[in-house]
Amino acid sequence: MPRDRKAHLPAPSLTSGLREVEPLPPVRLENVSKVYRDPMTLRPFTAVDGVSLTLERGEILGLLGPNGAGKTSTIKMILGLTRPTRGVIRIEGRDPWDSDARKRLGYLPENPCFYDHLGAAEYLDLVGALFGLSRVASRRRSEALLARLGLAAHARKPLRKFSKGMTQRLGICQALLNEPSLLVLDEPMSGLDPIGRAEAKQLLREERDKGTTILLSSHVLSETESLCDRVAILHRGRVHEVGGVSELLSSGVLEWEIAVDSLSDERAAILRSRGHSVQSVGRRWVVRVERESEVQEVLRDLVQERATIRSVEPRRESLEDYFVRALGADGRPAS
Amino acid sequence: MTRVLAIARNTLREVARERVVLVLAMFGLALVVGAQALSPLALGEGRKVVIDFGLAGASLLATTLAVFLGSTLLHKELERRTVYSILAKPIRREEFLIGKFLGLWFTTSMLLAGMAVILLAVVTLAYRDTPWQILGAVGLTLMELGIVTAVVILFSSFTTPALTAFFAVAATVAGHFAEDLRYFASQGASPAVQALTQGAYWILPHLDVFNARGLVVHGLSVGPDRLAFGFAYGLLYAIGIMVLAGVIFRRREFR
Repeated sequence: MPRDRKAHLPAPSLTSGLREVEPLPPVRLENVSKVYRDPMTLRPFTAVDGVSLTLERGEILGLLGPNGAGKTSTIKMILGLTRPTRGVIRIEGRDPWDSDARKRLGYLPENPCFYDHLGAAEYLDLVGALFGLSRVASRRRSEALLARLGLAAHARKPLRKFSKGMTQRLGICQALLNEPSLLVLDEPMSGLDPIGRAEAKQLLREERDKGTTILLSSHVLSETESLCDRVAILHRGRVHEVGGVSELLSSGVLEWEIAVDSLSDERAAILRSRGHSVQSVGRRWVVRVERESEVQEVLRDLVQERATIRSVEPRRESLEDYFVRALGADGRPAS
Repeated sequence: MTRVLAIARNTLREVARERVVLVLAMFGLALVVGAQALSPLALGEGRKVVIDFGLAGASLLATTLAVFLGSTLLHKELERRTVYSILAKPIRREEFLIGKFLGLWFTTSMLLAGMAVILLAVVTLAYRDTPWQILGAVGLTLMELGIVTAVVILFSSFTTPALTAFFAVAATVAGHFAEDLRYFASQGASPAVQALTQGAYWILPHLDVFNARGLVVHGLSVGPDRLAFGFAYGLLYAIGIMVLAGVIFRRREFR
């Protein structure tokens, strides 16, 4: 994190009677709810239930949760595509329904779909015109973005011939065209190959370093973990927890993994009888030891056995582990 | 205005690249040229038949195109979710809708103008006389197309393509008989039916205002008064319908 996240807060001044004006947060949701009605039965369904969330300038906040948690509904309300049933949403202090509030906003929808009849450059021309960019500025920016995302050679290709990954990369281009101060990305890594994901992550980090605030929803928790400054866990329309990734995850080591080349059946049985997990993985064995105090003892036994120890590694909690712990493996809260 | 024009230009490209436009344009060309083939059967009235047939065909084709392309225009945006990326930009929903309207109106108008040029050429070549009067009739038909396009956009802003096409066709057909509707209702209908038809009379577009074929066929020009009234009426009616469409579309939720 390149900047002090609290830097925007005004310092209390004792010498001056004038208070410094506090900059408005990029996005603020206050007790926001969204209730849909089934068009046939008119039965209400609460998609978002009293969500309060404030994004801080220049941070990447991950919106996480199982399917149906309310992530996309929340994003659509932030974009002004749906209205909250209750509560208030503000982008830099403005109602998202006000089109001016979206001038410095970039949005990448989940599984983006663009006009088949256009080429990539034509589509970016359209987007540039919607942002009120001059033709020259729009072209310059779109050429740079297409080159950065590896689409320069495909600028004139009709979008109907684009692969999913190419469409996703074009989606990132159009989201960045107006040099946004707020980026809202719904599953930004979806459809990208490993190289594309690495490039996209690098690009997002650069945007964050420039001061862009990024809200991203994702179900690829391992990527979110390495990218986000904070995460908000949504479950059944409610914010289950918000915090820094490291704060949410238990800081301690879950277990130690010892990889060895060979292990006799007798020794494996002894280790199991002591409560350790022993598994054969390919031509190797992995011994998992929960308590750190027992690691030395196990290693001594393995050396006596003349087993070749390949690695000894601590395994810490991941966001996946957190999800299973906090919400239950099936997405239900653990009791 | 830039944003409206950007959407209009995109709609024009989208519609112009549909194969159905090419098919209808070919059909229109065949109709106008085919009318010339029928002229020997018209007992010396060939010129009138060609102009009447050609103008009616061009108007019908342009209206058909407006209804059937327009009824799927918004639906496709919603179904493929292309509208999400667009409406997340700093554009008001009304601007998006007006852009769609202008793009579709311009496309169908171009088709109509193209067919009118062909008709002029066919009549000029066949009868050594250019019927410039048809330009007035075509001008009025352009305004009728504006109303039909606005009606299509209105229905497509809240209902399915099939229902949009149905309502738009019904409004267009009924609009051509708006005067007759009131006349028939006054012939001994019950008060309830009379009130209903009176309401329909005021709500429906009076599309007969834009039909000047009778004049043009007989070599008469469309007078400036009629042209001015047609343009003013067409413009005001289309604006009224688009305001209503904008109000409905603004309230729409994109789930």
